[in-house]
Amino acid sequence: MSATELDIQQSYGTLDVEEERQLSESKRQLVLNMGPQHPSTHGVLRVVVTMEGETIVGSDPIIGYLHRGVEKIGETRRYSQFTPWTDRTDYVAAPQNNLGYILAVEKLVGITATERAQYWRVIMAELSRIASHLVWLGTHALDIGALSMSLFCFRERELILDIFEKFCGARLTTNMMEIGGFSRPIPPGLVEMVESFLKIFPEMQQEYVDLLSANPIWLARTRGVGVIEPQAALDYGLTGACLRGSGINYDIRKAQPYLIYDRIDFEVPIGTRGDVYDRYLVRMEEMRQSLRIIRQCLDQVPTDGPLMRHDSNYCIPPHDTVLRTAEDMQRHFVWVVKGFNAPKGEVYVAIEHSKGELGHYIVSDGSAVPYRLRIRTPDFVNLQVLPHMAQGSMLADMVALIGTIDIVLGSVDR
Amino acid sequence: MSQDPAKKEQNTPEEATATGVESTVVGPKDDPADKPTTDNQRMHVEASPASEISDADEADSAEARAQLAAMSDPSIPVIEPAHDMTGVQIIDPVWVHSGYWGPLDENIHPAVVAIRSAFPGVVKEVTIFRDEVTIHVVAERLAEVALLLRDDDALAYSHVSDLTAVDMLGLRRSPRFDVVVTLYSVKHRKRLRLKAAVEEGQRCPTLTGVYKAAGWLERETYDMFGIIFDGHPDLRRMLLPEDWDEGHPLRKDYPIRGYKQYVQPGYENPAPRIREPRRP
Repeated sequence: MSATELDIQQSYGTLDVEEERQLSESKRQLVLNMGPQHPSTHGVLRVVVTMEGETIVGSDPIIGYLHRGVEKIGETRRYSQFTPWTDRTDYVAAPQNNLGYILAVEKLVGITATERAQYWRVIMAELSRIASHLVWLGTHALDIGALSMSLFCFRERELILDIFEKFCGARLTTNMMEIGGFSRPIPPGLVEMVESFLKIFPEMQQEYVDLLSANPIWLARTRGVGVIEPQAALDYGLTGACLRGSGINYDIRKAQPYLIYDRIDFEVPIGTRGDVYDRYLVRMEEMRQSLRIIRQCLDQVPTDGPLMRHDSNYCIPPHDTVLRTAEDMQRHFVWVVKGFNAPKGEVYVAIEHSKGELGHYIVSDGSAVPYRLRIRTPDFVNLQVLPHMAQGSMLADMVALIGTIDIVLGSVDR
Repeated sequence: MSQDPAKKEQNTPEEATATGVESTVVGPKDDPADKPTTDNQRMHVEASPASEISDADEADSAEARAQLAAMSDPSIPVIEPAHDMTGVQIIDPVWVHSGYWGPLDENIHPAVVAIRSAFPGVVKEVTIFRDEVTIHVVAERLAEVALLLRDDDALAYSHVSDLTAVDMLGLRRSPRFDVVVTLYSVKHRKRLRLKAAVEEGQRCPTLTGVYKAAGWLERETYDMFGIIFDGHPDLRRMLLPEDWDEGHPLRKDYPIRGYKQYVQPGYENPAPRIREPRRP
């Protein structure tokens, strides 16, 4: 057998002595199955890795183990009934998923939320962005070897989940947003909770920075690893921190401002080298900018005023007037039982999710259920770049590469 | 910026003309006293036949708009308010004024002009809804059109945001599917939607040569709709198992619970579980 034939021959299963010798001399490729139940794959991601020695020459991510057919379910539910399903697509950032879907429906029917509700939506979305980044940082550092980071990050995430619980009653699957605003009032004491979080969190974040940013082990595992060139990042359709880490400035909050982001002063961090360390820096800075956004929102938000639009039958009537007036009780009954007929048409609304561009594409045929509901999740598209990044790197870097894309398999598989 | 209200509400010209005829024939002028003003009356109105009310309102407001247009300066654009189903006018400043989708006249939209001049006859239709421009192109030329849009410096649609399909079964006779491509230009901050109608069994050219991101998106579209993309390097199932033999689930004729009845092992003939009433 010639050497070239040996090169392309791949081994499966147990190896004999001769095969092991060829492997060690990089004359034979080894196919290694990683996952789907592996702690570092953040869920049920399976990667089939082809290696020459310790170097990865090819990898094939296999997904779909968590596929629930959310888009098919969306075609059988009325517009208002689908909001709880959006919690379950990306379950570490549920308010942002609610927001993306609700904005798409609002654009389809042609209404906007009240000003006060828009500010509170931004506050909740930015808190959720910090929570999502904390989960990412904790698990990513845990994969690379910094065990204590996950303990710290989940400790601060509890504070945010407490705020969500105060606001809407749920910690994880929040289902907090409605078409036209919020149906429940802002509970007393919520503003103080957010204020205290704003006061506490910068010190906590400094702890992470002290632990990681100049840590020699962290630097050795992340710098120069998984480099994505700017052109490749564009080709692969990356969004979010993966794209900005490569130096391309695309943040939907700046490029196509939705809600009240155009009144807020904040900056978009951009990386230079496009490696794992740059994406870490970008996400850390995004958390600081989120704090700035929440601070300004708390200063600008009107202290009283309607949280829900009362002049449209697309919106659920607010809870207090439903209990007080007969008209709103009837409207509430019709809204819940019959729903509403949306106008014919199609919309695509994208928001800046903590993982990238979250798009909802709704086709309406004029009935009470969407004719087609498409969810473009950011991490599904971002995960495509994994084989490109892993090409030529070591097997031990694979866990760092999976972690740096920031995937949640419920969102990838939908 | 002034928009045709029929174009905003309805997608196809046939429907627009149909409702226009109806409104002139059916729509009697409403007494101003009968117009819904409070929530109570609004609820009452909704219980009565909806078509009459909306048509009457449409004719009424069309007349008012014509009067307004005659009085006002023609250079100032008239923004058509959106109607909800009760006839309450809602003016939505964000969605009407958002200028991110390019000029709303299809004859001067740069992408339409570029495609029309480079490939005559490829653009079949341009629809605009809520400021979103959709260009319907011939399916065979989809890849060339995308390449043109990416490489033209004035357009620079460098990003494929989304690629999916819609099963139009029941809405129209033929062709069955719409392949929907959402493009984004990072340079010019513009979004654009391409649509290519594909008959069942017809092959659609792949976009993987233009955008690498189309690889997985096309695999998912094949998985969910069964549309075969010609020239795709790796067209396998994406989300469903490789040995899935029950068709493509996002087609409209696919039952919501699947074709097969799945029985959990050990529960083929479940015995009725009767719970003993608890006794004190």
